Amino acid sequence: MPATDIAIVGFAQSPSLRDANPSEVQLLVPVVTQAIEMAGINRREIGFTCAGSCDYLTGGPFAFVSNLEAAGAWPPISESHVEADGAWAMYEAWMRLQEGDIDIALAFGSGKSSPSNPAEVWAQQLDPYYLAPLGVDPISLAGIQARALLDSGKATEEDFAKVVVNSRRNAAANPNAQLKDADTTVEALLAEPYFRTPLRKHDCPPISDGAVAVVMARGDKARELCSRPAWIRGMDHRIEAHQPGVRDLTSSPSTALAARKAGYDGGPLDVVELSGTFSPQELILLDALGLSLDGDTKVNPSGGALAGNPIMAVGLVRIVEAAARIIDGSANRVLAHATGGPLLQQNLVCLMEGE
Amino acid sequence: MTDTPKEHMVMEHLVTLTYHERLTENLNRYADNLLEGRIIGAKCPSCGRVFVPSKGYCSLCVVPTTEADEVEVPDTGIVTGFTIVSPVNYYGQKKTEPFVFASVLLDGADTTLGGMDITGVPHSELRSGLRVKAKWKPREERSVEGMSNRGWGGFGDVVESFEVTGEPDADEETYKEHLF
Repeated sequence: MPATDIAIVGFAQSPSLRDANPSEVQLLVPVVTQAIEMAGINRREIGFTCAGSCDYLTGGPFAFVSNLEAAGAWPPISESHVEADGAWAMYEAWMRLQEGDIDIALAFGSGKSSPSNPAEVWAQQLDPYYLAPLGVDPISLAGIQARALLDSGKATEEDFAKVVVNSRRNAAANPNAQLKDADTTVEALLAEPYFRTPLRKHDCPPISDGAVAVVMARGDKARELCSRPAWIRGMDHRIEAHQPGVRDLTSSPSTALAARKAGYDGGPLDVVELSGTFSPQELILLDALGLSLDGDTKVNPSGGALAGNPIMAVGLVRIVEAAARIIDGSANRVLAHATGGPLLQQNLVCLMEGE
Repeated sequence: MTDTPKEHMVMEHLVTLTYHERLTENLNRYADNLLEGRIIGAKCPSCGRVFVPSKGYCSLCVVPTTEADEVEVPDTGIVTGFTIVSPVNYYGQKKTEPFVFASVLLDGADTTLGGMDITGVPHSELRSGLRVKAKWKPREERSVEGMSNRGWGGFGDVVESFEVTGEPDADEETYKEHLF
């Protein structure tokens, strides 16, 4: 539990785009500026900055260094970088704020998947002995997970389609979403051909470019900057075995544990935003949290990761989407989730409330 | 401990990752102009610094720059720093004789062009402050292949070198804030 009250007081995100022409820094510059402007602060008031991105995705060593220019790093600032989704950058900044000597921190995440072939890039995060040399790509892995889920009897292909319908319909109202369709139906989706059996193309995320930023503030500073801050009640991340073959792919105990450690007690939630980048994963995550698509909790009102998947930003986008609903007064208690590694290997949960 | 020899397994895992990237709009305009023998940069609407090439934003003020902020700068400038490289025969190295790698601050620019060749002066007389002018390649020999969004954008392969003009050296005060 945090030693001090910390809240999100500003945020911004770029649209999720299939192939953005601007450089990654050019995507970040307006996003970071808008988040700072929303918080109503001067850039120099930020006590700590943390960024999340992936050099493998950008395709250059130390590519993350230029992203820092979006924060305004001259005169020198106190900053850090994680080779992970921006949600983990936010986690580090949140931890840093708890030391109590600074009041404001900035975190951002960015990634352009369009220049690379994600199937090639993401095979490299697998273990170097057994899986990486095989070149196992994320969609094939997700197919194995989907098959395991079907075989376990926990879900059907119709359930996968329901996840996609929820995503496409919700995304229709989200100007930043990449894939949207207010009129999608389960029947229409099930009539589509398989892409990687038992997955259809719509069960997989789009290839996306994008950027996102949050400004957090502590205690009274947060109340001063925002009339209704999104208070972070807890944040936690847990990791499972790296080798997908040694775990039960149909459940996510790390998500359940992270949620508990973040302070989620199973009580009512208005909104949950999940980084299920394949439709079966969203079902696994809902199950881990004791939630369902048919319950009282709104699941992925933004459309979620199936509607836009700017890798290295997508998890922080979930947190921003959930926080936005507290700040605009439409929700009071929300939970957001981010993931990293193959097949939901590492999971982060952020629980936020209004006051 | 046994003396029985054991096998050391060696596993080769060769990785090829391919990236396709279009030049950003600002670099695309820069490249088009270089091919025509013109050098353009972006003037920050906030601080007035001129970045050559444009990054699409000012990295000090953190404000975007657009086509409207782009300005032409002359092909004359100052050597701010240099090194003389004695080539060793590494993979891809085509040079065999010592060559110059100099930073050139174009007149009116606040950023330098790196890795430029300087001609018209013996290596022993190279110095910071030398005034130089671009010796453009013929139009049909100019190339911007290999220019990329990464790093500083480069200068393509559009000039033979920067040739010393013979003007008096620039005062260090005029370029000491712009060495790299």
